[in-house]
Amino acid sequence: MVRQLIAGLMLTGMLIFPAINSIAQTDTASHPVVNSPNGGSQKVLFPGAAISQYQYTQVQGSKGFGSFSPLTLFAIPLIKVNDNLFLDFAADLSVNSDGSATPGFDELVVYYRLTPWLYLFGGSFNPRYGIYNGWLDDFTNRFGTGVSPVGMGYGAENADGIGIEGAFQAGYSKIYYQLYTSNGPQVVIDSLTPLSQGNLSGQMNQSSIIDNNRNKNVGWCIGYLPFSNSNLEVNFSGAYTPQTGNTGTAYQNINNLVWAVGLNYYHLFSPIMIRAIGEYDGIQTSKFNYPIQQTDSTFTTYTYNNKYDGWFYGMTVRAAGSKNKWIKNFELAARIGALNPPSDAPWGGSSINQTTVTLTYYLNWDIPLSFEYDVLTQNGAPTQKIFSTVLFFRF
Amino acid sequence: MKYIKTILSLVIIIFALAFIINGCAVPQSIKDKSGAQLWGENCNRCHNAPDPRTYSDDQWDAAMEHMRQKGFLTDQEVGKIRDFLKQSN
Repeated sequence: MVRQLIAGLMLTGMLIFPAINSIAQTDTASHPVVNSPNGGSQKVLFPGAAISQYQYTQVQGSKGFGSFSPLTLFAIPLIKVNDNLFLDFAADLSVNSDGSATPGFDELVVYYRLTPWLYLFGGSFNPRYGIYNGWLDDFTNRFGTGVSPVGMGYGAENADGIGIEGAFQAGYSKIYYQLYTSNGPQVVIDSLTPLSQGNLSGQMNQSSIIDNNRNKNVGWCIGYLPFSNSNLEVNFSGAYTPQTGNTGTAYQNINNLVWAVGLNYYHLFSPIMIRAIGEYDGIQTSKFNYPIQQTDSTFTTYTYNNKYDGWFYGMTVRAAGSKNKWIKNFELAARIGALNPPSDAPWGGSSINQTTVTLTYYLNWDIPLSFEYDVLTQNGAPTQKIFSTVLFFRF
Repeated sequence: MKYIKTILSLVIIIFALAFIINGCAVPQSIKDKSGAQLWGENCNRCHNAPDPRTYSDDQWDAAMEHMRQKGFLTDQEVGKIRDFLKQSN
């Protein structure tokens, strides 16, 4: 009932406020200067990005293999319609192994300003989760993107819904928040794959577009920047979905809770700038007796404690204050992390540990060329060593 | 339902606290910060600070709205940084 009330209020607000605003603008609109380069209320920025990568993987006990990855192209049109209305859009085009291209849809969000510290938004969006997800992701990642941190990426992403967000000064500190409701993740039910082959039942599909039940997901992110120079940031984010299974099925009431604590700190000890960044993720799904088909077509059930976590922590060093233009564009980064999956889940297994070292050279402020080295270890599995060269070309 | 009530209660408490804190007077030293200073402090939080000459005035208008949402900048920060970038491009 409470969820429906909140969703109703948000939806009503989204419909009423733009209408009021459009009426007000009709009454008070001023005439733009003819042929002025800055005339008109609509402001557009059409940035884009292209990613190219070479990756060499060495699995312990076998020969290494290297390959260039096809280019991925991003288009990110940003439209400020007026002082209250803003449209944020992101799409991509990926080249497949057969040479064909697949378009992708990343974000389409409409923001409406209610007060200086309260914005209403709706559409397809990447919620703020942890210290990377929803924050321009690749743009803020200083460790290359050849191999993502194993301890993240299991939480809220690609939501379809509505919400509110904003930021305000509180004395010397700053606070920001995001609260939203969306379709939420859907539980994966896999009754065919044998347990020994990694049956996937109980995992969450986070990229669901059309909801499979009437209950909605509720997500949040609260951030705190205690210092006046904004160099330390801690946040707490998460999402709770009371129902993740199809309506009317036995799986309907399987619920899911994800949460993350993130930290980002940077400081210039002239001429050296250091950065510390970290995140801890927790994921918990309610227990359920999942059915699985046997060779004689009968069904048995199995269950497990579906709770796991992940984390990563990294540091970067850069001579940002150096007078030498060549030296100041280098950044060295190191990161450690782990994923601790549910040990008794068929898809789980033992913990995966990751160590990453990256050297980045900034060809421009927004064009990093990264040389990344990852080592992934897991009990009972061969060690993987992966070298990636990643170029983000932004325009 | 138990979880959802707990989460909603927490969010309401946090919002109530936030509104109270928001009532705190903003120190004069914060109010006096220049656009250039805020540009350096806030951009570097997540990525390298861009050259003001990267975009035109209109493009900075759109870019700063984008950063307001993605970087959770306050209204005052957006206004001052935008003015600085427009004056310096």
